[in-house]
Amino acid sequence: MNRIRALALIAALFSGLLQAAELKVAILVQDTAQLSMQGDLLPSGTPGADLVAVTDELAREICRRINASCAFFYVRLADILPGVEGGRFDLGFGNFLRSPEREKRVAYSDPLFRSSSRLIGKPATARIFATRLGQPVSLASLRDARVAALDGSQQQAFLDGIADERALTVLATATTAEALNVLRRDGADFALLPIRTGYALISRDKAQHFAFVGPAVTTHGLGDTAHIVLAKQQAALRRAVNKAIREIKADGTFQRIMHRHFPVFLD
Amino acid sequence: MAAGDKQHRPSAGKAFAILASVFALLFGAVVALLAFDQYRVLAAAERLQHEAVPEIIRFQRLARNLDQLNHEGERLFSSPSAADRQQALFLVMLVASHPSILEYPQAAVMARDAENYLVETNQLAARDPSTLAARYPEWLRLSQRMRLLVDDISIHGANLASADLDNMASTMRTARLKLLGALALVGGFIALLIALLRKHLIRPLQRIDHALSSLDVEQPAPQFPDARLAEIHAVEEAAGRLHKAMVSNEAARRELELLANRDGLTGLINRRHFMAGAEAEIRRAQRYGRPIAVALGDLDSFKRLNDTHGHGAGDVVLRTFAGLLADSVRQSDLVCRYGGEEFAFLFPESSVEQAHIQLERFRQRFAEHDIRLPDGLLVRITLSIGLADASHCPLEIALQRADYALYEAKRLGRNRVIVAAEAN
Repeated sequence: MNRIRALALIAALFSGLLQAAELKVAILVQDTAQLSMQGDLLPSGTPGADLVAVTDELAREICRRINASCAFFYVRLADILPGVEGGRFDLGFGNFLRSPEREKRVAYSDPLFRSSSRLIGKPATARIFATRLGQPVSLASLRDARVAALDGSQQQAFLDGIADERALTVLATATTAEALNVLRRDGADFALLPIRTGYALISRDKAQHFAFVGPAVTTHGLGDTAHIVLAKQQAALRRAVNKAIREIKADGTFQRIMHRHFPVFLD
Repeated sequence: MAAGDKQHRPSAGKAFAILASVFALLFGAVVALLAFDQYRVLAAAERLQHEAVPEIIRFQRLARNLDQLNHEGERLFSSPSAADRQQALFLVMLVASHPSILEYPQAAVMARDAENYLVETNQLAARDPSTLAARYPEWLRLSQRMRLLVDDISIHGANLASADLDNMASTMRTARLKLLGALALVGGFIALLIALLRKHLIRPLQRIDHALSSLDVEQPAPQFPDARLAEIHAVEEAAGRLHKAMVSNEAARRELELLANRDGLTGLINRRHFMAGAEAEIRRAQRYGRPIAVALGDLDSFKRLNDTHGHGAGDVVLRTFAGLLADSVRQSDLVCRYGGEEFAFLFPESSVEQAHIQLERFRQRFAEHDIRLPDGLLVRITLSIGLADASHCPLEIALQRADYALYEAKRLGRNRVIVAAEAN
């Protein structure tokens, strides 16, 4: 009898192992100090820690829902898309906006939430530029400026596209925290960041050097829905992830995760 | 059946095929209408699911974000510390930057106005906190505008759903009416079918059944009203032909019976038939104590007539005798050719005396009757008769007595009636 029980236990364990897929999940960090961190040992007090935490929690919840055993990798934005495309990662959590160029390379999950982009800068710098431009600073009016953006982001791609025409100097940074540091050191006049990221960074900035400048933008690929990215050939995984997203939105898990890290829920 | 009848009377199969086709067409039309309604309901449900509900969620999100913006604006005015005011302002900016607000022009303008006003207020308050109170009424005005917009957006979202739901409800009501119509149609068709079946199939079959059950040669041929269905008409005609055949068969049967019971020469009943009838009459008379008599008669010198004038003359005499008998005996009396020139008589309800009178009258009449032979010669033939009472003995005994009496009549010189009692 004991032998039969042992065999059944081994069979159950073996089938469970077969069922639980092994996935490599890339999670976007906001600061270099968060790179290659282990599990929940998120360095507290680092810039954008809330954003990393919410992404991490969301990724773990989705892994649990799709019955997958996930290994998490905390990486820069510029590493996620090529990593997913090249098969190093199965899922990329970086709040990716859609763009035709990206669509050719990776597949997208259903939307997680909606986002826009907005300039961040020092109020004094904004006033100087407003005087120089003869109008309030906005992304539409900005010229002859140094603008920081996250390397590999839609914001960087947009700025690169208009840099020559507007005489802009685009400074690509590895992390969003670095973009803010560049601003702080006056290495750039403005930074163009996703609104949620921008808020998470400047609201935690003790010195309160920064403010949003000009209106938020959703055109030119700078706003709309944010997604998880997957390899194009992973159709079954994409269906499973989409089902998990629908479930966590329907049962309130998604909202609870967001509320744990942000004072307002914006989906 | 006449060719013309076939042309104007539909067959049952054809008639019911036409009915079924008409019903199928009508029912199919109703089903098609119902299917169209179902399609409309499904389309409305799909619109509700894929257009209205996402729109409603969008409007709800927008209303919630405007409310959030309003709330953070209030927090800015009510916060005692500059740091708290700044945090509230960051949240205002975050919410005002959300695509849900930016994509709705009226909300985007209002959010930008509110944000600008709050940024300016925060800057002024950083230098002089008392400006907060001075600027609060204007914020209230902005806030009120936002609340009105939130109300409008909420109502608009609700209206989106109610339009589709109204459409669905209206379609469902129409579908229900059509369904009731379909039920009425089916019910009406079944009622019509039953009525037609009853009128053109069941009732005619019942009439045919009744006619066939009571078909009798003594009754006239069955008459049927004009049937509409060819098959029914054919069966009715067959019933008529059957009656005609029965009448014909009955006539043939009677003819055969006559031939079997009658003597071919005289037309009188034959001996076998007489014996059967006489047995029955005697049993009846004896059961009820009624008088009955039997007699045997024999033409006198008939052999000599035959020998002299030939058998043809004998036949004429026998036929003449039978013809006179028919006029002389009662309907109820039985007379048969007993054999050769011998005849048997049965007189029900007659005593020997009454029968004697009757026989005597006939004997005289026959004896005085001139018979023209085939060769033109007129002859007269006499008859000897023996009479016996049959009311107290079996037929054979009574006939035996009558035979003795006949023998006695011959012995006494012929041409007379002798009663058996006298002979005994």
